[in-house]
Amino acid sequence: MTLFRAQGLTAGYGPVTVLHSIDVEVNEGEIVVMLGANGAGKTTTMRAISGVIPRQGIIELEGRSIQKAGPDVIVRGGVAQVPQGRGTFPELSVEDNLRAGAYIRRDGSAGVTADINKWFGVFPRLAERRAQRAGSLSGGEQQMLAIARALMSRPKLLLCDEPSLGLAPLITQELFHVIERLNRDEGLSVLLVEQNANLAMHMASKVYLLETGRVVASGSAAELGADDAIRKAYLGF
Amino acid sequence: MELFLQRLVDGLSEGSVYALIALGLVIIYRGTGHLNFAQGEMALFCAYVVYQLGEWGIPIGFAVILGMVVGFVIGATAEVALVRPIAKKSPFAVFIVTIGLFQFLNWLDGAIWGGQSLPNTGVGSKQLQYPSLFPNKPDDFVTVFGADIKIQSLGVIGLVLVLTALLFLVFNRTRLGLAMRAVAANTESSKLVGIKTSTVLMASWGIAAAIGALGGVVFAGINTNVNLGLMFTVFIYASAAATLGGFDSPGGAVIGGLTIGVIQNMTAGYADEWVGQEMKVGVAFLVIVAVLLVKPSGLFGTSKVERV
Repeated sequence: MTLFRAQGLTAGYGPVTVLHSIDVEVNEGEIVVMLGANGAGKTTTMRAISGVIPRQGIIELEGRSIQKAGPDVIVRGGVAQVPQGRGTFPELSVEDNLRAGAYIRRDGSAGVTADINKWFGVFPRLAERRAQRAGSLSGGEQQMLAIARALMSRPKLLLCDEPSLGLAPLITQELFHVIERLNRDEGLSVLLVEQNANLAMHMASKVYLLETGRVVASGSAAELGADDAIRKAYLGF
Repeated sequence: MELFLQRLVDGLSEGSVYALIALGLVIIYRGTGHLNFAQGEMALFCAYVVYQLGEWGIPIGFAVILGMVVGFVIGATAEVALVRPIAKKSPFAVFIVTIGLFQFLNWLDGAIWGGQSLPNTGVGSKQLQYPSLFPNKPDDFVTVFGADIKIQSLGVIGLVLVLTALLFLVFNRTRLGLAMRAVAANTESSKLVGIKTSTVLMASWGIAAAIGALGGVVFAGINTNVNLGLMFTVFIYASAAATLGGFDSPGGAVIGGLTIGVIQNMTAGYADEWVGQEMKVGVAFLVIVAVLLVKPSGLFGTSKVERV
């Protein structure tokens, strides 16, 4: 079943259009990967979906239009984003970062605390630093915190904006394992944008290739991997 | 000893007013990164409103609460109607807008309640007798270690301490407080967790102006008179207090305000010969410069810690 669908999604900054009418679809339970080089429009796509920049086109979540919805409505609808460069609240403690992630929830502090402990279980290093300011964490820890914070809103769709950026390959691998596990065990759907094709491709049920604001190819990882030109340009083998 | 205690308490109560205005400055700065030049004039307008309510026979305690509500509305309206649309186009222009608001409010006060607007206020300008929140007759004092401490001073200090504690709880224990801290730390990420940043900023300006209103009323009460120039110097000291405490630290604003109040009163009292009333401001600023040389982000301000 289609969870999220964008058709003719167009967005940009002021007079500059960055995304030129792209189509993206995420089915329930899928991990969808969007590949693209610097400046291809990956982050703009994410920000447009979350509603923090103006955008045009059809954007639907579970069949309902969210084109006019503000960011808070979209989070409430079940879309959470892990922004590029972690985007944590540096002056807030690790625990307060997670509480802020649960901002839209109305199920009381007991439920929120239970979830905090759950994600501390998944990311034990965050548990050790629960009272520490987020700004003092290492890059990998901040990325974990950003993911845990997004999960605190109990999303159906997780948007991940280049989680590998600036991280050691081993840590990136660890993060991707966590994302895969969440997808498998909790049925979390994921839309992940990456430059790092090799690490992301193998867990994708579907891949989009983004080039200067347009989707230039899409298909399964196997299909794209079979195309020589794409393989050489993006996968480096 | 008696004199020392008296000066200390006087300094703390005067500093309490700086602290209230500084708190407002810090709350707005944390939220939007703007220095609200009109903070003192918003407070003055509310002080006049409370005066007017008193003239109509409303008891001062209730009038103050209404005055703070008026303050909240003015602050929130200024953010929504003036600051937000202009900040979108040019963040720097906001500074000019708050100066414009400063002049407008001062003119408005004069138009309604009379008196010469800034910068022409001074001796001979219209003074209105102002009621005090606390007993303030010549014999309203308590004797501590031989020192006569005014009940009004103790009341003002107590009020500011209670308000600070209350704000601390709001910041650290409530959903609105969490949202305010989150917006201060990272606006885009606040949106991404579903915080309505526009509502939070509006509330920040409102709260800042409401606290300022209380500061205005308290200061007019200490001064026993209200005039159009009342809050101008207070605003300067409050800006200094916020700088001393660290512009992003509400606790720092309070400590900064109290410190400046005490330094002023002590230097004017003890070094009367070569400092005197006129120069007491200068000494306070010297102390601030010295502190900032050692700690550029202020006593309690956070120097940005960020690892990338």
